Amino acid sequence: MALKYSHEEIGEGINFTSLVDSRFKTNYITINLITDLNKEKAALNAATAIFLSKGNNKYKTISELNKKLASLYGANLAGDVFKLGDSQGISLSASCIVDRYTFNNEKITEELTKVLTGCLLEPNVENGSFNEKAFNLCRQELIDDIDAEINDKRTYAVIQACKEVFKGEPAALTSHGDKESAEKLNAKDAYEQYKKVISEYQIEIFFAGGGNGNEVKAVIKEAFSKINRNYVGKSTSHKSSVKSEVSEKEINLDVVQSKMVMAFKTNDENKHAVILMNAIFGTTPFSKLFANVREKLSLCYYCSSMYDERKGVLLVDSGVEKENIGKAKAEILNQVKQMQEGNFTDEEIKNAGLSLVNMIKTVNDSAYSLANWYMKQRYIDKNNTPEEEIEKLKNVTREDIIAAAKSLKLDTVFVLTDKGGEN
Amino acid sequence: MNYEKKLIRNERSNEQYYCIEHPTGLKIVVWEMANYSTCHALFGTKYGSINTMFKTNKDKDYVKVPEGIAHYLEHKLFENEDCDVFSLYAKTGASANAYTSFDKTCYLFSCTDNFDDSLRILLDFVQKPYFTKETVEKEQGIIGQEIRMYDDNAGWRVFFNMLAGLYHNHPVKIDIAGTVESIAKIDSDLLYKCYNTFYNLKNMVLSIAGNVKVDDVLKICDEMLKPCENLELKTVFEDEPETVVEKEVTQNLQVATPLFNIGFKSKPESGIDLIKAEVETNIVLSLLCDESSNLYKEMYEDGLINSEFATEVFNGDGYFCSIFEGESKNPKEVFSRINDEIERVKVEGFDEERFELIKKSYYGSQIRGYNNVEAVATSMINAYMSGVTPFDVIETAANVTLKDVYNRLFKQFNKENTTISIVNPIE
Repeated sequence: MALKYSHEEIGEGINFTSLVDSRFKTNYITINLITDLNKEKAALNAATAIFLSKGNNKYKTISELNKKLASLYGANLAGDVFKLGDSQGISLSASCIVDRYTFNNEKITEELTKVLTGCLLEPNVENGSFNEKAFNLCRQELIDDIDAEINDKRTYAVIQACKEVFKGEPAALTSHGDKESAEKLNAKDAYEQYKKVISEYQIEIFFAGGGNGNEVKAVIKEAFSKINRNYVGKSTSHKSSVKSEVSEKEINLDVVQSKMVMAFKTNDENKHAVILMNAIFGTTPFSKLFANVREKLSLCYYCSSMYDERKGVLLVDSGVEKENIGKAKAEILNQVKQMQEGNFTDEEIKNAGLSLVNMIKTVNDSAYSLANWYMKQRYIDKNNTPEEEIEKLKNVTREDIIAAAKSLKLDTVFVLTDKGGEN
Repeated sequence: MNYEKKLIRNERSNEQYYCIEHPTGLKIVVWEMANYSTCHALFGTKYGSINTMFKTNKDKDYVKVPEGIAHYLEHKLFENEDCDVFSLYAKTGASANAYTSFDKTCYLFSCTDNFDDSLRILLDFVQKPYFTKETVEKEQGIIGQEIRMYDDNAGWRVFFNMLAGLYHNHPVKIDIAGTVESIAKIDSDLLYKCYNTFYNLKNMVLSIAGNVKVDDVLKICDEMLKPCENLELKTVFEDEPETVVEKEVTQNLQVATPLFNIGFKSKPESGIDLIKAEVETNIVLSLLCDESSNLYKEMYEDGLINSEFATEVFNGDGYFCSIFEGESKNPKEVFSRINDEIERVKVEGFDEERFELIKKSYYGSQIRGYNNVEAVATSMINAYMSGVTPFDVIETAANVTLKDVYNRLFKQFNKENTTISIVNPIE
């Protein structure tokens, strides 16, 4: 059975998208509230996402809520924030097995949807404020999350590099916001901000799974009919402009292996050309970067690239021995030059295309990735299926790829390395 | 070729797969998942970082090899005489990878198109080693960087420091990739020696799930698999005492909040006893401190743990331990509360209502696993390498009683045999 897609605007700026395929044994429901990423609000929204997922007005403590979830055959419920370009999303999501797999055909999906909307719309509130004790724990958890960024040096290097790459733009922030703001949060402000979130933000709701999307939609519609909306419109991203001079930044930490992140910016509007160019250049294990920087020169264990189409930024991140930083940088730049000069074969284009097709088609095989795919489509006001995106990639020509490579301008070279002198 | 295609069904979940003993000795398992786009295939050998001492009917005595060699071999198999394996997969669009764990090495791909060609590539390169002095030397740099990357990884360090505290002799305490010093001893002769010992089809499993037909798989297997002789392979480990080496291990690294791993060491199990131990211990761990427990609530509300807190059963050939892990400003207080709770439950027993809820959740999590092509293929290869079937977990969980779980608590949680590993921030 093929995927059944349906979409309905169920309120002002509130969309419900249903993705039903009977082969799935789970149901996934996710509610996303999207706004501009903003220094004042980012940490507040992040703490709120945690708070909403820990309990609600009916199940006030973490153990009460989790007992309820366990009774629904070990359903999951999670709150998080995410970043899309210059925007921040708050997501509250839940999943469970499809009703027909329960012992007595119990209606657990409908019940779980009620728990989920309860968490979002009937939070644990006392005297015009979020429950203070519970909120303070969430604030601490957020601070811990921000502090823990340093534990994984690869991700940490990318986060720190982005501060430089996107200097002065919303995208310089992480979805969790900064520690200084997090430390100042309180339950009362958070509740005031929460009311704005519910009233003003773009809301994208998805049901994806093997169950009955209409039952879920009915519960969601009923729950959202009770809120007052003062919708302020969609949040969007802007392409990042290239710095007049390449920014070189180094930070020091007590590490064994150094990390280098290089950022290139492009204003090429042909996003499919950039995506294909990036695949040839640095995303696969047969890409230019893998074959040369890792395999041929043995400089790195990892050296790969990623492209953020919303910001027009291509990042190359690598883990490299301190004394080899210069060599790795030279080789990465050389490989960009090779791309710009068209030094890649038709077979490399074909193979990079196959790899992208494989990746995109895989989206169809999980409820979670389908919801995620259409969330990103809704963000750019599109509704393309994975198959439609594949068709667009197939139309990219060699000239388009060279043009995309030529549009890359080096913007930032960021290095994280040890404090000491020589290694 | 003439052989039996056995259909294994599970009535509880209404799922099924095929199991074939191929004449070459290879065990083949295929789970057809209609209407999925992808197909996931794993070709693996029962050979991991812990198998450093072994003997075949060609060896007079047990052979001991350097640490990290299974992982090194995994890297090197990706190179054929004339090309890199990735460049072959590039033509089919499959996404390919490999991993070495403590007790297995697996080569895998996932694809939406050109399955037959991708399977041919997989079966071909794993059966066709090619190493020279030069190609082996070249890998020293790459793996050296991989090892050094993990040296900076606090989550990895806190785990291995715990294993070093728990185990005296068992090689599970050594990093999977070995050390920069141990891999320096690896050469092409040693790699061939290990390859010829462990990459014998009688010691291997092929597991495939997704958009595929069993007969198509078998046709390609018949064409590609090479006969293997029986080597009477034996692997051994030095004797491992029940006690631990160190009760506490600490290290300072660039982290913000201390990280901890608390391990309870217990007797290793194998086969279906292992599944029973694993399922029951997992239920004990949930009863003790999952998010619906009082202990979790209290530690959370006292600011001792955050959502990073988790538990895990970690086991394999010759080792079994139960782990509590997370971040805390006061890991020792967390440890003390866990110990108190274990002792309390030993006296007072578990709550029956929560036991039933957790059993239900366990069933739910198994059903979820059947939803995902990769999870299905992986669960099949893991099961067959441990000498059980993938349905043994769901069946064991369905039949487990409160009494089993209570008894398990005494078997698996002896506070004398514990190690707490802490990674503290650099002052």
